[in-house]
Amino acid sequence: MMHFDTKRGLRALAFAGVAMAAPLTSLPALAQGSDTLVIARSMDVNSLDPQRAFCDTCQFYLTAVYETLVTLAPDNKSLVPNLAERWEVNDDFTEFTFHLKDATFADGSPVEASDVVWSFERLKNLKGSPSFLMDGLVGAEAVDAKTVKVTLEAPNGEFLNKVSAPYGGIVNAEVAMANGAIAGEEAATEDKAEPWFLANSAGSGPYMLKAYSPEAELRLGRNDAYHGEAPGFSEIVVTQISDAVSQAQALETGQVDIAMQIDPDTASSIRSDDVTTEVVPSYNFLYVGFIPGAKGMKDVLTPEVRTALALAIDYEGVLDFTVGGAGARQAAPIPNGFPGTAGLTPRERDLEKAKEMLAAAGAEDLKLVAGYPNDNIYGVDFNIMMQKVQQDFAEAGVELELKPLTWSVWRDELGAGEWGVTAIYYAPDYYGSGQYVSYFGMMEGFPWANRAGVGDSALVRNETEEKLYAQALAASGEEADAIYAKIAEEMMKEAIILPLVSPNLVLAYRSDIEGVRYSACCNLPLAEISRK
Amino acid sequence: MLAYIARRLIAIPFLLLGVASVSFLLSQMTKGDPLAALVPERMMDNPEIVAAVKAQWGLDQPLPVRYGIYISNLLQGDLGTSFATRRPVAVDIAERLPATLELVFAAMIIGTIMGVGLGLLSARFRGSVFDGLARIFALIGSSLPIFWSGLILLYLLSVRVALVPGTGRLPPRVEPPPDVTGFYTVDALLAGDLDLFAQALAHLALPALVLGWAVSGVITRLVRSSLIEGLSQDYARTARAKGAPERVVLINHALRNALIPLLTILGFTFAYLITGAVLTEAIFAWPGIGSYAVRGAASLDYPAIGGVTIVGSIAFLLANLLTDIAYAWANPRIKVGG
Repeated sequence: MMHFDTKRGLRALAFAGVAMAAPLTSLPALAQGSDTLVIARSMDVNSLDPQRAFCDTCQFYLTAVYETLVTLAPDNKSLVPNLAERWEVNDDFTEFTFHLKDATFADGSPVEASDVVWSFERLKNLKGSPSFLMDGLVGAEAVDAKTVKVTLEAPNGEFLNKVSAPYGGIVNAEVAMANGAIAGEEAATEDKAEPWFLANSAGSGPYMLKAYSPEAELRLGRNDAYHGEAPGFSEIVVTQISDAVSQAQALETGQVDIAMQIDPDTASSIRSDDVTTEVVPSYNFLYVGFIPGAKGMKDVLTPEVRTALALAIDYEGVLDFTVGGAGARQAAPIPNGFPGTAGLTPRERDLEKAKEMLAAAGAEDLKLVAGYPNDNIYGVDFNIMMQKVQQDFAEAGVELELKPLTWSVWRDELGAGEWGVTAIYYAPDYYGSGQYVSYFGMMEGFPWANRAGVGDSALVRNETEEKLYAQALAASGEEADAIYAKIAEEMMKEAIILPLVSPNLVLAYRSDIEGVRYSACCNLPLAEISRK
Repeated sequence: MLAYIARRLIAIPFLLLGVASVSFLLSQMTKGDPLAALVPERMMDNPEIVAAVKAQWGLDQPLPVRYGIYISNLLQGDLGTSFATRRPVAVDIAERLPATLELVFAAMIIGTIMGVGLGLLSARFRGSVFDGLARIFALIGSSLPIFWSGLILLYLLSVRVALVPGTGRLPPRVEPPPDVTGFYTVDALLAGDLDLFAQALAHLALPALVLGWAVSGVITRLVRSSLIEGLSQDYARTARAKGAPERVVLINHALRNALIPLLTILGFTFAYLITGAVLTEAIFAWPGIGSYAVRGAASLDYPAIGGVTIVGSIAFLLANLLTDIAYAWANPRIKVGG
């Protein structure tokens, strides 16, 4: 048997060390002039199947690879043609007829009405996260190869907005079916296409999926068969960089062209002249939610106490404390700029009134527990935000115990009604206020009514909201705006959802890049980006 | 010796089955909603979606049935499908493990060179200024949080002076070499692409240095104390009396005797780092198994947790076996398996 030779061992180690140190000066290929766009991001991909995916990263991936019938214009309000060159809507918003333009999928085959019908049916029947977009779909019919008629069971003035969401992208049905996709009613259990969609794409968009490695890299290649104007890059690489500081460093060194999750604080530390930063308002927001149906909270978190607690919060202070003022206050759980929010006035702090109301409700020594995800979302640390709420409540004589939790434990405890206060966030899927009402509205069977009532939504049910929502869906334009404004006021009166911060978004990119913008539906429209 | 190795290797599958069972049952007993990784927060209240997902992933089955399916699949080499990545866990691990191994091997080389070198010099010049500096350097290496030292070094060496490239295994614009071993440095060499090799090595250097520095702290202190003790032993005095210079006494006699505890530490550290290099992986955007493990644990991704546990266990079992074999190699008086 060989035995260890000490001298030889040390020499081998020294040689290995020199080999490690030798290439330190081999620097990376930098951005300048490259035909590849590199984006730094902490990816949150849950799927790349267009009818299963539901995440911020999915929004811009799907927008680049699949095309919707209509899309949101850069004003973040108007809908403009995409695969559909025109459309008609009947008077009561139950029938929508789309006329497709001449477009082709990446394999060269034409986009036809049958693909639209198949995509919408699969979206509905997969019972995936974005299936709510097809709620109320009675049927989709291919009138001819280029005409699709969609029928809904009830009026929905926001249906066009819903199909502008990236999850409404049209898939090449033939290719998808050949790889295990099913659109019929058995899709939820029989569809086997998800693994295929993690490595391939079947869309008509300007890019196609080249490679995907979870939490490492998402690589897109230009779709050479794209029927529209060719995009600015032959390749786009989304590279996983988790924290804002590392993203900023990669941007400064030119390793990446765009950093997607830089907070205003980190942005202010960037000194490079080669980097451009723009701060724009976002439609994302973080909020505190009260849960009157939680254990022991039924007679505690009454409407009067909730209103008092809402008055105890220093909203300006929360904004300063969490994002250094780089954000906006928001009145109701519908983002500023969305239908119905124009005339709303954000809440103001009134500590004395809060104390009076608490005293009148017999809740002077109130003790509450707040369970919330231990996370940082859109540059806001939940712990910091809730510490500020804790301080504000303390000034009103209310003791708030903070309980940061992992997501899985938070969900478990939320469902069990373990605590009366929580904090969470929301980002839009499309431009339209209906998505907020159908999520935050205190209506039978709606998510937040179930959460606040912990399964007993009757505890928090608001019949006025229900009536108004039905009216809003049957209206459009200014009429709909006015109804959504009334719903927003009802939501403010309920004082169950208290929006605290709508953080600004930092667009940070190399100065030779242009076309970077924030979209309410699609996050970052990649096809609009090019190098100067 | 060979019989001993064979016995140890035969025992490994049985140990792994036990580890997998304990891991599975502990995961199931942990508080939390396993649907966190499968159903987005906004859809968690939708009973139709929740029911469809539970049926799709078998979470509607009772625990004994799920356990039976898991073990049965495991025996056929199927680690299951990750809730989060929606891909087979074996594929995820096969993609990520080489990245971690490459980082850990490099860190162990750097850490061992630094640790043994500083320990040797520190013991040789005990009580000198150099000894003090070496001990401080070792102390900082083992006590400084990697998320801090990593970020600072990345900022200084990459952003300020551009001495090393940024994060990741390669520049994002560069495509990886054809996959043979999964080690980009090795695969680049096998592909005959020296430029790619240099880039892969440059990307590896800083994370390996940061992790290696942390490893070197323990090694420095261990080697120093072992050598100081060894230098006062009879065999060292005898060697000196026979006219051996101090350098020879130090390296040929004292260091050789310090190898046994050193090998123990190296084996343990290597196995630990396979799943424990998570902070380095996070700072340097290194797509390894550590970050996969942490993400899996936080989201109760049972299949991923099980897969990583098995990999971690294999690492510990093999590291222990190799350490035992190395004992015999380093010191012929030790009879392995005897």
